[in-house]
Amino acid sequence: MGNALAPEVDGREAGRNVSGAVLDISGVCKSFGGLKAVQSFSLRLGPGDLQGLIGPNGAGKTTCFNLLTGVYRPDAGSITLCGTQIVGMRPNSIARCGMSRTFQNIRLFGDLSVLDNVRVGGHLRVRHSMFSAILRSAGSRASEAAMRRRAMSLLTFFGLADRADEVARNLPYGDQRKLEIARALATEPTVLLLDEPAAGMNSGEKVALRDMIRRVRDEFKVTVLLIEHDMGLVMDICERITVLDYGETIAAGTPAEVQANPKVIEAYLGAEEGVHA
Amino acid sequence: MVWPLAAALVYALVVHFGGRTVLDPYYAILLVTIGINITLAVSLNMVNGFTGQFSMGHAGFLAVGGYACGIVTYYGSAKVFGSTAMRQGQLCGMPLETAGLPFLGGGEWFFLLALLVGGLVAAGLGYIVGLPSLRLRGDYLAIVTLGFGEIVRVVIQQSGKVIKAGGGKSAEQLIRDAPLYTLPGSVGGSLGFDNLPKYTSLFWAHLAAAATVLVAYRLKSSTYGRAFLSIREDEVAAEAMGVNTTKFKVRAFVLAAFFAGVAGGLYGSTLGVALSPVDAGFQKSFDIIIMVVLGGLGSISGAVVAAVVVTLLPEWLRGVAEYRMIIYALTLILLMIFRPQGLLGVREAWEMPLLRKWMGGKRGGT
Amino acid sequence: MDQLLQTIKDGISMGSLYALIALGYTMVYGILKFINFAHSDVVVLGAWLSLVMADTTTRALGGAGAAGAPWWLGGAVLVTAMVACGLIGFTIERLAYKPLRGSPRLNVLITAIGVSLFLQNTGQLRAVFGTNPRSIPPLIHDATLLTVGQVNFKLLDLIGFGTAVALMIGLDYLVFHTKLGRAMRAVSHNRVTASLMGIPVDRVISFTFVTGAMLAAAGGFLWALKYETIKQPADSSWVLLGLKAFVAAVVGGIGNVRGAMLGGMAIGLLENFGSAYLSSSMKDVYVFALLIVVLLVRPGGILGKAVVEKV
Repeated sequence: MGNALAPEVDGREAGRNVSGAVLDISGVCKSFGGLKAVQSFSLRLGPGDLQGLIGPNGAGKTTCFNLLTGVYRPDAGSITLCGTQIVGMRPNSIARCGMSRTFQNIRLFGDLSVLDNVRVGGHLRVRHSMFSAILRSAGSRASEAAMRRRAMSLLTFFGLADRADEVARNLPYGDQRKLEIARALATEPTVLLLDEPAAGMNSGEKVALRDMIRRVRDEFKVTVLLIEHDMGLVMDICERITVLDYGETIAAGTPAEVQANPKVIEAYLGAEEGVHA
Repeated sequence: MVWPLAAALVYALVVHFGGRTVLDPYYAILLVTIGINITLAVSLNMVNGFTGQFSMGHAGFLAVGGYACGIVTYYGSAKVFGSTAMRQGQLCGMPLETAGLPFLGGGEWFFLLALLVGGLVAAGLGYIVGLPSLRLRGDYLAIVTLGFGEIVRVVIQQSGKVIKAGGGKSAEQLIRDAPLYTLPGSVGGSLGFDNLPKYTSLFWAHLAAAATVLVAYRLKSSTYGRAFLSIREDEVAAEAMGVNTTKFKVRAFVLAAFFAGVAGGLYGSTLGVALSPVDAGFQKSFDIIIMVVLGGLGSISGAVVAAVVVTLLPEWLRGVAEYRMIIYALTLILLMIFRPQGLLGVREAWEMPLLRKWMGGKRGGT
Repeated sequence: MDQLLQTIKDGISMGSLYALIALGYTMVYGILKFINFAHSDVVVLGAWLSLVMADTTTRALGGAGAAGAPWWLGGAVLVTAMVACGLIGFTIERLAYKPLRGSPRLNVLITAIGVSLFLQNTGQLRAVFGTNPRSIPPLIHDATLLTVGQVNFKLLDLIGFGTAVALMIGLDYLVFHTKLGRAMRAVSHNRVTASLMGIPVDRVISFTFVTGAMLAAAGGFLWALKYETIKQPADSSWVLLGLKAFVAAVVGGIGNVRGAMLGGMAIGLLENFGSAYLSSSMKDVYVFALLIVVLLVRPGGILGKAVVEKV
């Protein structure tokens, strides 16, 4: 399933597969004052990949997401999304280029309805101008209707359709996480960054989430990069995993390789017994 | 697309002819003021309510629009019609028989043009002020816009005298002799820009109010309005979802400035009003802010209701006029403690749970 | 040359007033992260209270004018005004701002506007200060101490500047060299952590308001001494005064005590140089132009990031 691990290195040398990578991160660094939050972080995601980014608390995972989405600007390194260099672009332009994300500490538009949250995500694909929205031209009405249909089908996919008119802040926690993913998908991304989607979910919900992430990847044809603390989930669904510790990449490979890596075990020891939580 | 515009027109006509027949002059002008205040409150709501930024200089745009419109109707009339006097039009507040002029006479179309000029000048200024300051954090914007209003006030105070008849010459002659570029600077300084032709009628005031409400509502219920609201809800998330927050804030600001400018044109041309630099000051801005906060930041119907209430309140409180502002102030403080979302919050009147139940179904949405 | 000297003198004396008022804005912003719009109204209150007290006491002592007033009267009026305003600052914080701890910043801002309107319009009541401008009776004989060229250095100039500087030194000592000051800095840095460390956050916040209000009262008192007429409480000149003091705080680096002093001086000098050498009618415009430039070029203010310790 698009998991082109082996040919990656060859492809890069041949200068052929560079365009094959959807997201190509190389040598990205960021420090805050004296703290080196992320050091020469490199990662390649092919079309349809489902990769994981793990590491102990404070390892710099969310910082990586913030660097990728333009919330922070990297001190060094390059990030190429579908062939476009996105370092230095504002977050909204990066979203336009096809990168979308969820937030670790849920950041929904609390006072807006569930449907409206998703429709905000769809805004950047809108063609009609603000002027025609005020005039409510035929084009704008068609565009609004299409947007509503798309948003509703996304909500149906996530089982939230019957709560479409509810205010987002009133949703239960698990549904809020799902809504964040729905909102992110509404931007029609190529790459979807999920920041701890399972946080705060019970084990039943986690199982459902695991299937859902796979279905999202397959049905929406997106490449997924996942930050997750739940090792069971990550090992289960990710084809490739990168491990961060103190901003450094200490290991990368298939779940089996990562689990066997002594450095990873060392990084997690003390916090957890082995990699399996 | 056409029907709401027609409805706005019909509404304005009904208010105009209904108001003129039923109300005596004093209350007719009060009704004009209500229309102007609705325009002001609903337009400020686009910035403070929709995008969650906090502008405190709305009166600055009101004054700029008022003066720009005044320059067109006063000096422009002199140039175009050869007279600074009002050319037809229905003096609002005057009984029908004395004003007995045709509805929508020639000068009134000129007035409409002047209103648009006022709005566009204010919008242009809004762009110049908004572009740098909307990059700032919310409360800095409050200071910058408050400062902007005060600067407008100070600058207008420095302007020269209005060119009026004197020294044996008529105003028209003097205006003809004065170089064109001096005219925008001759707006009366601290004395105010008086004797403007008083074109504002119930029709124009309420047409502007209806148009503002219509535009605000259509925006709010469109994808652009949702983008505005997303900024207010969570700026970081809005950016991440592809909303260019700076651009949208500037849009809201410019649009609000436009309508404030139009409202300023209407205000300056109302019978009994002499446009003066004080109109740009913070006190006027505070009045508008009170309407928006009272109605609920983000709620258009709330802003309309609050504009009506705040305009009428001084009438009811006339016995205790001294305490009017104190009552406003206490209302603001208590509101923030006990009902910080204002009268209606971000919602519209028909979206309130109680009304929804009455109407027995859901409305709104697309 | 004389004009230069005069401008510098005026700039510094005006600047020290701005600095005094800016301190209140900066301290409250440092701790609660909101613009206390009502701060300038406490300045007004200080000015008017000083006026009323000076008026009644000089009248009670029989003779109006400087000759009749004992030498300590000025000091007594200043201290009383400071204490009274301190109490009012305490009350405002407890009644209006404390219930909003943790609400969105916009709500607190609106409340502050409400408090400001309340103070202005209560002060305008006939039973309180009324709407007519009044002037403070001379509390001290304003002797000329020194004349350089055409420029006179008078006793009141010295008293005004001296009082402002003494208060600022006192505050600087309080913030940077006392236990209470350390608590204030801790609360400013992180309110939650500070409370976990056992710092009585509410009491520290109250104390900050009281200190700010007292400095505002002193600013009002000095303003009253300096200017012939004290305008009505809701006059727009007061709002401008408050705005400029806030601009001073932002220019110096909001949240930073020393920055506020520096910013105040900078604004005072800018304003006076601008009106002396460019055009006096546009003096308010210079200040806001400076604000825009600072916000765009160095949003943190002059000392914004350089000094880590903030209040």
